[in-house]
Amino acid sequence: MAVNLKRSSGTGASTEQIQRRRMLGWLTGLGLFGSGILSAVSNFVFIKPRATYGQPQRFSIGKPDDFPPGTRATLGARSLCVVREGNKIAALSTTCTHLGCIVGVSDTGFACPCHGSRFDQDGTVTGGPAPRPLPWYKLTLAPNGELEVDKDIEITPGSYLSL
Amino acid sequence: MRIALAIGTFFILLIHGIVFYDQFFHRWERNQTAYFDQARAMAKSDAERAALSDRKPRIEQIVVSNFGETRVDRCTTCHIASDDPRFSTYAEPLKTHPYSIAMGDVQKNGKWERRHKFSEFGCTVCHDGQGRGLEPKYSHGEDEYWPDPLLGHTTQDSWRKDYAPKLKGKEYLEANCAQCHTDPGFAGTATVEKGRKLFFATNCYGCHRIEGLSDGTIGPDLTEVGKKWKLDYLWGRIADPRAILATSIMPKFNLKDDEIKALVIFLKSRKGRNFAETEIQRYKVKLTGGAELVQATIKPVEIKPAEMLKQGEKLILDRACTACHKLGARDGGIAPDLSFEGSIKDEQWISAHFKNPKSTMPDSIMPTFRFTDDEFKAMTAYLVSLKTAPALTNGEATYKALCLRCHGDKGDGNGPIAIHLDPFPRDLTKAGFMNSKSDTRLVNSIRNGVAGTSMPAWGKMLDEEQAKGVLAYIQTAFTKEPRRELKARQIPEKNPIAMSAESVARGEAQFVNRCAGCHGKKADGKGPNSLDIQPKPRNLRNARFVDSVDDRRLFEAILYGVQGTAMPSWIDYGLNNNDVGDLVNFIRAINQKPKGGQNAGTNQ
Repeated sequence: MAVNLKRSSGTGASTEQIQRRRMLGWLTGLGLFGSGILSAVSNFVFIKPRATYGQPQRFSIGKPDDFPPGTRATLGARSLCVVREGNKIAALSTTCTHLGCIVGVSDTGFACPCHGSRFDQDGTVTGGPAPRPLPWYKLTLAPNGELEVDKDIEITPGSYLSL
Repeated sequence: MRIALAIGTFFILLIHGIVFYDQFFHRWERNQTAYFDQARAMAKSDAERAALSDRKPRIEQIVVSNFGETRVDRCTTCHIASDDPRFSTYAEPLKTHPYSIAMGDVQKNGKWERRHKFSEFGCTVCHDGQGRGLEPKYSHGEDEYWPDPLLGHTTQDSWRKDYAPKLKGKEYLEANCAQCHTDPGFAGTATVEKGRKLFFATNCYGCHRIEGLSDGTIGPDLTEVGKKWKLDYLWGRIADPRAILATSIMPKFNLKDDEIKALVIFLKSRKGRNFAETEIQRYKVKLTGGAELVQATIKPVEIKPAEMLKQGEKLILDRACTACHKLGARDGGIAPDLSFEGSIKDEQWISAHFKNPKSTMPDSIMPTFRFTDDEFKAMTAYLVSLKTAPALTNGEATYKALCLRCHGDKGDGNGPIAIHLDPFPRDLTKAGFMNSKSDTRLVNSIRNGVAGTSMPAWGKMLDEEQAKGVLAYIQTAFTKEPRRELKARQIPEKNPIAMSAESVARGEAQFVNRCAGCHGKKADGKGPNSLDIQPKPRNLRNARFVDSVDDRRLFEAILYGVQGTAMPSWIDYGLNNNDVGDLVNFIRAINQKPKGGQNAGTNQ
């Protein structure tokens, strides 16, 4: 007690001490807060996996010459339909937007065998329970001359890649 | 107090920061960003720019399931330009994988097309390495615990420093090409083929088994050797077998570096299962033992009668006989000296020994080599012609020239090659044994040899006097104890019991009771007690030996024991002449050749 009394007697020293204490308190708080933010951010980033198992979402489907003008070819394993009209080419999903069956190519467009959904050539729903049109995927020409589909990126229906 | 707290929390913040940076800012992301930037700068059309517009750094992976277990190759995460021909002049990792006509790539309208598309083959099928790794240290396999570092590119720190530089080079990749391209004539796997030829030319196949190629049993099975071992181990085991395993009996073949390299590449390509093989093909080579392949690989030498000796000599030198045997100045240090083979063996014996070493020495470790009859004939002719005896001035010189290699310089049977011989050479320092045999018997052993063992008949080189001189030297230098008068023993000259099925049955019962503990149930000298006994119990299935000894000697050994060995005197245990007669009949019966069987070679 005696020591405390002695210290508090000098006023100048007291304010200096309080300022220093407050400063250190702030620094401590900042350090802990910063660590907390970093941990929280890491946790949120961590939730989304960086790589998943299974085939990659962007893949090559071959050369443009493999799909001559007028083609409507389905790639079964990839659940894709490659459409080429003249020099324009596009890739549509063949996974039905209703319950995920693989739709077949019909004269008028696409037909789902499970619940009878109908789509036209551009993938727009023309009948049945399907809630949304078939998505179009981004198709690019890779530098090695092959077509690459990226199933992670959907594009507006009707936008073709010009060769 | 507060200062410590403040510093402490800042330290925590720092560690959090470092971990955060380490986990979320990667080298591959920087690589990819650099690639996108440069590709954008190079882009000539809107389409090219559009292709890059949505690209963000992410882990690229190729999942390959056509080649063995499913592979996940993330190599293109860093090597993102590997299939972009515009980056051919850039530095790694942003460099185009080279195109090559040898690999089947073709150029069409000025554009290269790959034969082995990365999307189909991935990377590790050819290059090895750790496909899932995202840091060079791990993906390239620099970590010493990773079994397949990048073939011919990455060497691990734990590898021997003098081997490591030799283990780099494109040729090593051929080992993986050969996983599919199994055709021996395939141009891309020329080194593998060279290694395969060496595997036969240097007689590796005699000791080692590779399913579908060879069936040696002395050395380890090499069918899956490429899967089990890394390059430095393979190189080390070939270049200097004993540096890795002190007890290895593999000879040092003194191969040149490029030959070792070819063998290493060949061995690295042996991974048990080739991607190109079907089950039927595998089964087929299993049935034939790969004999066709061997014959296709070792080209038989056409032997011309006029040059037989010369060709025989060349064959013996070419086919690495001296990796084990001694011949003149060449010495493999494993098998007996062939320098004067013509004086101690005849043509018939050598020829039989070549065709099947176990026919003349049942416990020989010499492999059976698949040479043609003509080649064997030429090699035999050459060996028979070797009759130059070394200088045999006195007993000591003779011992040093002829006996030392097996019986050792101390005469204790521990010569340089002794551990490779079965039965083991006689310990000449054991006075108990040496003094229990008459001089006549010992001189006889020297001059006529011991059939079925590595002791040759020296009779053609040493006359009676010389043999006695050697014996005298042995007795004074090694046995040392003075000779004693031999006690007279009552031994029947001929087996009093006639050979009959009943006698053999009685002998067998007796044998199982009394003898099997050391000589073994099969009478092969490998009974449970044999482990602790030196010299080892005699292999009584060695027909050549059993046929060469007369009844009297068998009776003596059983009745009175063999002094200096673990064989006791069975008279003391109550065996009489009749019991021993049954035993002798049993031993003779198990060594009888099947009727009509060929008795190749002579009894020496």
